[in-house]
Amino acid sequence: MNLRNVRRAAPVEAVKNLVSAPLEARPNEEASQRPVDLVLAATVVALIGFGVVMVYSASTVQGTTQHHDAQFFLKRQGSFAIVALALFFLTSVIDYHRLYKLTYPVLGSVGVLLVMCVAGLGHSGGGATRWLSVGPVHIQPAELAKLALVSWLSYSLSKKAEKVKTFTVGFLPHLLVAGVFVVLCMKQPDFGSAVVLLLLTFTMLFVAGAKVGYILGATIMGSGFAVLSIVSKSYRYARYLAWMDMDAHRQDLAYQPFQSVMSFGSGGTFGLGIGRGLQTLYLPEAHNDFVAAIVGEELGFVGVLALCAVFFTLVARGVRAALRAPDDYGSFLAFGISAMFGIQAVLNLSVALAILPTKGLTLPFISYGGSSLIMNALAAGVLLNVSRQGEKKAIYETPAPPEVASRRAEPEEGEGMDEPLLDAPSYEGAE
Amino acid sequence: MRNLPPERAKWMRLRMGILCGILAIGLGGFVSSAYRVQVEDGPAWRETALNQRNRRLHVEPKRGSVYDRNGASLAISVEVPSVTVDVVELLRGVEKPDLQAELIRDASVRLAAALKLDANEVQAKLTSKRRFIWLKRRIPGDEAAQIRVLGDPKAQAPGQKAIKGLSIDGEGKRYYPGRELLGPVLGFVAPDGEGKDGLELSMNEELRGHLEEMHGIRDRAGRMIFSEGATDEQALAGHDVHLAIDEGIQHVVERELDIAQRTYETKGAMLVVMDPMTGEVLSLASTPGYNPNDYGDSEVEARRDRVISDRFEPGSVMKVFTFSAALAAGSLKPTEQIYCEKGTYKLANVTIHDTHVSEWLAPTQILAKSSNIGTLKIALNLGEPGLYSAFRRFGFGEATGLPLPGEAQGVLRPKGRPWFEVETANASFGQGISVTTMQLAVAMSAIANGGKLMEPILVRKITDARGNVVREWPPHVRREAVPAHVAKMMSEMLTAVVEEGGTGVEAAMNGYRVAGKTATAQKADPATGKYSEDKYTASFVGFVPAEKPRLVVAVVLDEPMIGRYGGDLAGPLFRRVAESSLRYLGVPPSNAQPHIGQVSRTNDPADLALATLKPKKLADPPTENTMMGPPPPNTVRVPDASGLAARDAVRAVGSVGLVPEIEGTGKLVRQNPQPGSPVPKGSSVRLVFEPAS
Repeated sequence: MNLRNVRRAAPVEAVKNLVSAPLEARPNEEASQRPVDLVLAATVVALIGFGVVMVYSASTVQGTTQHHDAQFFLKRQGSFAIVALALFFLTSVIDYHRLYKLTYPVLGSVGVLLVMCVAGLGHSGGGATRWLSVGPVHIQPAELAKLALVSWLSYSLSKKAEKVKTFTVGFLPHLLVAGVFVVLCMKQPDFGSAVVLLLLTFTMLFVAGAKVGYILGATIMGSGFAVLSIVSKSYRYARYLAWMDMDAHRQDLAYQPFQSVMSFGSGGTFGLGIGRGLQTLYLPEAHNDFVAAIVGEELGFVGVLALCAVFFTLVARGVRAALRAPDDYGSFLAFGISAMFGIQAVLNLSVALAILPTKGLTLPFISYGGSSLIMNALAAGVLLNVSRQGEKKAIYETPAPPEVASRRAEPEEGEGMDEPLLDAPSYEGAE
Repeated sequence: MRNLPPERAKWMRLRMGILCGILAIGLGGFVSSAYRVQVEDGPAWRETALNQRNRRLHVEPKRGSVYDRNGASLAISVEVPSVTVDVVELLRGVEKPDLQAELIRDASVRLAAALKLDANEVQAKLTSKRRFIWLKRRIPGDEAAQIRVLGDPKAQAPGQKAIKGLSIDGEGKRYYPGRELLGPVLGFVAPDGEGKDGLELSMNEELRGHLEEMHGIRDRAGRMIFSEGATDEQALAGHDVHLAIDEGIQHVVERELDIAQRTYETKGAMLVVMDPMTGEVLSLASTPGYNPNDYGDSEVEARRDRVISDRFEPGSVMKVFTFSAALAAGSLKPTEQIYCEKGTYKLANVTIHDTHVSEWLAPTQILAKSSNIGTLKIALNLGEPGLYSAFRRFGFGEATGLPLPGEAQGVLRPKGRPWFEVETANASFGQGISVTTMQLAVAMSAIANGGKLMEPILVRKITDARGNVVREWPPHVRREAVPAHVAKMMSEMLTAVVEEGGTGVEAAMNGYRVAGKTATAQKADPATGKYSEDKYTASFVGFVPAEKPRLVVAVVLDEPMIGRYGGDLAGPLFRRVAESSLRYLGVPPSNAQPHIGQVSRTNDPADLALATLKPKKLADPPTENTMMGPPPPNTVRVPDASGLAARDAVRAVGSVGLVPEIEGTGKLVRQNPQPGSPVPKGSSVRLVFEPAS
């Protein structure tokens, strides 16, 4: 992997300077020389590849019955995966600071797309209007909204810096923008995406240093709003009741989660083997929101554990990138993206195991769906770029022998061995 | 965050750590939950999943058919459509409870209209929201067509939606094309596919076929995805049963029995037609019968196969076998003369009467006149062991072995010990023992075919669905009942019964020589333990043509209300059945002129009944007259002497040139022949008197 930040000609350089102007931290000049986080890249590629396999295994039945082609979903997901991988690597070589200037255009257009979706231009499926048709391509604005919101929050929070702690400047505007997105998602209706957007907002506000009291208050309000929306829509309430009493509703409303749990359970410890699962006959949308159930059936508890480990690694490496990012914008981006993966994964898996009631949520990188896969790959690309800029060349880390001796003599010099060494130059710049 | 102040950066790290912790807890919660579901409860879930998708399909094999000897269908299985509904499928895409309820209500009304059911009941069924509900089983074709329309989205009127989740499956139903024909023999099949009576019960194993259990996997919509094993329907299907019964003869027999039943108002009537050479049962019928298509509407009593299940005291028919035994043993010479005691003979403390008073008679005449006294003397001469073992050799006291449920064996020694002298005497003319109609037919076949007791054959062969013979029943001689020459001699003697002066003249027919024996047996009254005065079993068992027998016909009428004597009641029945059957089988009349050219049969009410029921169907001989017509030459009408005292009655009968035979004292209650019947001058009229109560 010899990907490098591409050095551009003068006009591009000018744009770059313009884009990064408000930042106190400049992009590392040496960043292009540094390798990407190979573990992170490998994790993402592995997840995308695994997703294609699982989608194929889970979709043959539906592909055959609905499209008379067992490979129907494999072909599509395969194409999406190729596009996603290409975008993943392309994004990883573009300096994330270039996103800075794009924040509002992206946020605005995603908002427009969401409004279009709600306004009736959308394409319906499964009782919800979640897609916009652009020629043969169906895009799901809610998936775009997640990344757009994360990038905007990173921009806004890093710009406001210490003011984040205030209510009017630091808290309310973010909540309002997020609230608009959440309401638009709810209108589709897409309860799952709304929950994810809300959780992401709180997460990032919390990390940026918003007052815990505000967040708690907003959380309580948000929960109240959620309860209201569940009770107000009878079908949601019925679904909730069905989830509460799954055994009684295993034939109707709780059919899907019940079949999903059965799918997990019948996999046992080691699973039936890839392609040997038979719950796809019963589990609707097995290749989509409930793909984890098929993983559970075909690969067993061991497979589920491995999948969890891979997601854990993904998030851990993302947080590591956030910790090492050269500036707070990068940290927020990396943490927001990692949280987006982590929250979606945990929610999706919990829904699949009926720990949480059903809501439409994909398992990042694994579930079938172009919008979700491509947006997640883009986000992973940004994350990879952040990770690339966080590291320093080994030359900085190599101290002269006498200095080592002198530093050892000073015990107050930091709890970790590496961190202070790495971060020391930046602090000077900031102070 | 290297651009941030260290203090803020530290806080951010801390907060990130907290959030990561929360996320890790969430992941840990999921993993522990997954461990519980997958590792701990895994086997249980796997079992549930297996039960859900594995379908053991009981492939109901096609039940075999029953055919007559010419391949006509007597019992067949037909596929009849049944309607089922999957309510989950019906409601697919509708999630709101009120809309679901509305959809169910709408579907119930439309389905109820199509299937002629109660809409409320349908709605109650659908509201259970089960995945498999029988709506109506075994529906007619037009209802099935309506259901197909309801389920077809393209066939809907505007504003109407197709009902989802409906399906029509075929279910096997047993159908008996002949309806009542052979009903008690065929039996019926219960809805569970098991034969419950008659051949359907006794041949159930063969007919049912192999109930194959097939393993398959079904998907959410209930469709079978794939199944193991080949479904060779023919290999699984039940075997076909080919009977020896001839549908044509059976038709004739059942029609005649029905007429006889109504004419004589009998309690029951039984008739067997056999081929004496092979033992094949060509017809087997009893009344009252029933229609196995609607077996639920019939009395259990009517379903009984009385030919094999009802035993009765046979009466004089047994004389045939007594004579055969004595002839075979050599204790009786055909030329011998036996003194018949002028109609009254005292044996021990019992007085035995003859209907026809005679003195010295040859064996042939004893048979023809059905003399009890002559017969008992022959029997006593032969001895108890000889008579008993002869009866056994003729198959009495043992099952004939027809593959039908409920066969009675009959009883020869009701006390379980050898007969006393009186009992031997009684047994010799068929009282004090019991037999079945089938046994009589089989025993008479042995006389007809030269002494061989044949195994009666009801089922000729069983073939599998491909037509290969699985099992066959070729003619089988059970044993030699009597030597051939004795059988031959008996045949000749039996022809005298239907000749002039014999008791069975009514059985005689033009063109064919008939051999047979009449019987009029008193029935024991279970209430008193004595012989009843007015309950009789009238029968005629014989074969035709006497010189080369093709058919043995045994006719038994149980408790006729009108008339009494086997010759008068069962004789005509025998004649008509035999005549039709011979014609049906294409047996040419023998060249020999009939021994009795002109037998009047005008006193036979059955003829009248037949004439009104089936006009001109059976071309009757030109000698037939109606009751109202002038009496033929040399005949007179029997005067009506009912209610008269003995002396007046005798005078009335004697005044027209008839010979009265008197029985009993008191007022005349019965006379035979019936009043008004034309009889030859000089024939005897039996008058039965009873004291006025």
